[in-house]
Amino acid sequence: MKLQLTRRKWIAAAGGAATLAAGCAHRPAPGSAAVSIVRAPAYDQTLYDTVRRMLALHRLDVRGRHVTIKPNLVEFEPESTINTSPLVVHATLEGFRALGAASVRIAEGPGHRRNTLDLADAAGYFRLMPDFEDRFTDLNLDDVSLVPLPRPFSRLTRLYLPNTLLGAGLVVSLAKMKTHHWVGATLAMKNLFGSVPGGVYGWPKNVLHWAGIHESIADLHSVYRRQFAMVDGVVGMEGNGPIQGGAKPVGVLVAGRDPVAVDATCCRIMKIDPLRVAYLRMAAQSGAPLAEANIRQTGETVAGVATPFELIPEFRGLRLERG
Amino acid sequence: MSPEVLAGKQNPDGGWPYARGSSWTEPTVYAILAMLVAGEKARARRGVAWLKGLERPDGGWRPHTGVEESTWVTALAALVPEDELGAAAHGRATGWLTDATGAESSRIVRLRRWLMGPVADPDLEFAGWPWLEGSAAWVGPTAVAILALDKENRLPKARQRVAEGRRFLMRRRCSGGGWNYGAPHALGYAAKEYPETTGMALAALRGEPAPDMERSIGLARALLGQSRSADALNWLRLGLAAQGALPPGYRPPGEVVYRTVPEIALSLLVSAGPPGYSLLLGMDGSREPEAGSRNGGIAPMEHAAGRSPTRTEFPPSADGPTR
Repeated sequence: MKLQLTRRKWIAAAGGAATLAAGCAHRPAPGSAAVSIVRAPAYDQTLYDTVRRMLALHRLDVRGRHVTIKPNLVEFEPESTINTSPLVVHATLEGFRALGAASVRIAEGPGHRRNTLDLADAAGYFRLMPDFEDRFTDLNLDDVSLVPLPRPFSRLTRLYLPNTLLGAGLVVSLAKMKTHHWVGATLAMKNLFGSVPGGVYGWPKNVLHWAGIHESIADLHSVYRRQFAMVDGVVGMEGNGPIQGGAKPVGVLVAGRDPVAVDATCCRIMKIDPLRVAYLRMAAQSGAPLAEANIRQTGETVAGVATPFELIPEFRGLRLERG
Repeated sequence: MSPEVLAGKQNPDGGWPYARGSSWTEPTVYAILAMLVAGEKARARRGVAWLKGLERPDGGWRPHTGVEESTWVTALAALVPEDELGAAAHGRATGWLTDATGAESSRIVRLRRWLMGPVADPDLEFAGWPWLEGSAAWVGPTAVAILALDKENRLPKARQRVAEGRRFLMRRRCSGGGWNYGAPHALGYAAKEYPETTGMALAALRGEPAPDMERSIGLARALLGQSRSADALNWLRLGLAAQGALPPGYRPPGEVVYRTVPEIALSLLVSAGPPGYSLLLGMDGSREPEAGSRNGGIAPMEHAAGRSPTRTEFPPSADGPTR
């Protein structure tokens, strides 16, 4: 077979080798983390109890703390599977209130649409939470602080980030289980792109793309130290996600204190190999658990709920071959 | 809605917040323009004084006092009349704008693209404007930059950038005639057309003898009938008015909620008719935009023909509620 190496392929290969070499240096031993998978077959009232039990599993002590839930709110389409379900968001809000949080806010900074509250209204958030506006902070328009990035993977050394999230006692990344046409999968870690303020960086937050999408995801993960991750996989999105893909019923919620472990578990459920997702590999360099052996699974098993998400051709190489 | 609602949201420092909280450049500029049209000169000038403090040494403007970056909001500052902002500051804003381009138009990126392979992307032929230096050009900031520079058409470089910017917008028109925030397609999939960016592009394309503009206008009119977002309706009204195609007698639906300062201020400006259009589009404030074109200009209820461009009475409760 004749090998055709174009300039594009050669430069990409050289860059990849350099990244790999850099990543092999000084890598701490991986830790371990607990991730729970709970069946949630439909968006109905049972979610409130399901979420409450799930939070109890993780023994979160949020008494007296200010909790900020960051859903994935993207488009004006209540019937689609683009956004984190408002029911899941409300169930999570009630769950943290029941745990004794001093306050529970919802905060999001959509990447495409500027009219965030109209978007939330159209997506069904106001219907379920009539006082949504009082509970909500638009992260695109929040006051900001300049934050240095510890050991950045991207070209960025610092980012302006919203004070609401920086000051939160716990940031809950409440993502949707979706494929993503630039990075393979968008889950709890990628969801934090919405924390980058459009008021500074614009709509979309294109500066992150120029700095490297995978790298920026890993950088944002490192900024927020007090996180809890939960992924709405009741109905996910496959194919050309995160906006134009098709509905993919999975019937699960996945949660844990370590977003890397949660995302790796979601990938396995989607039949995506987390070891081939670049931002997960980067985040794992700081010791976050990525391998199955280092993730303590509770609730359902991955094998019991896994279902292959359709992948666009660019990402078929991510397919998990076993498990 | 009345100018008093907007006046009541002015911060003690003279600027305006997006909704509540600290002052930002974008809402302050729209509020200044609305105050000028309402004849509230003192309030407008306090706003201008705050705005002047956000100029940076490079001639660009910061979006917020806490941000040390010149961004797309420089175009908004340049929308403020020269006799209010000051000729020197206005000239610096215009100069900054004429030099700003999306990163994809820089020599380094063009060279890198050549090295990566001979991919000719027609979408990248013309330069637009980015939200922030170092990132790509997008429809929103390009449209606002055109509105600002079109008022400076005595400057050859401004004329050239406006002409090129309009070609940039035409290249990004989607198959249905409207505009997404970015390219009309991604990875081979057609991008969705958004009402607000469609209105912005139509406003920026005023007077452009573009092919098949009727298709874009038809879509904008359809979106005007469907949208319930104040931001979307404001820009659609402005875009259609710029094209002389706002349906006669059009009034926004009563259930539309005006939640942010830009939404309130832009609504006041577009409801004011020629004086508002004069400030936003740079057209003669004493007459209807494109009078005699497409449907004979804008609706009688939308403007106050024959009045001074610096003083307009706003119809009481013309639009929906504010929050």
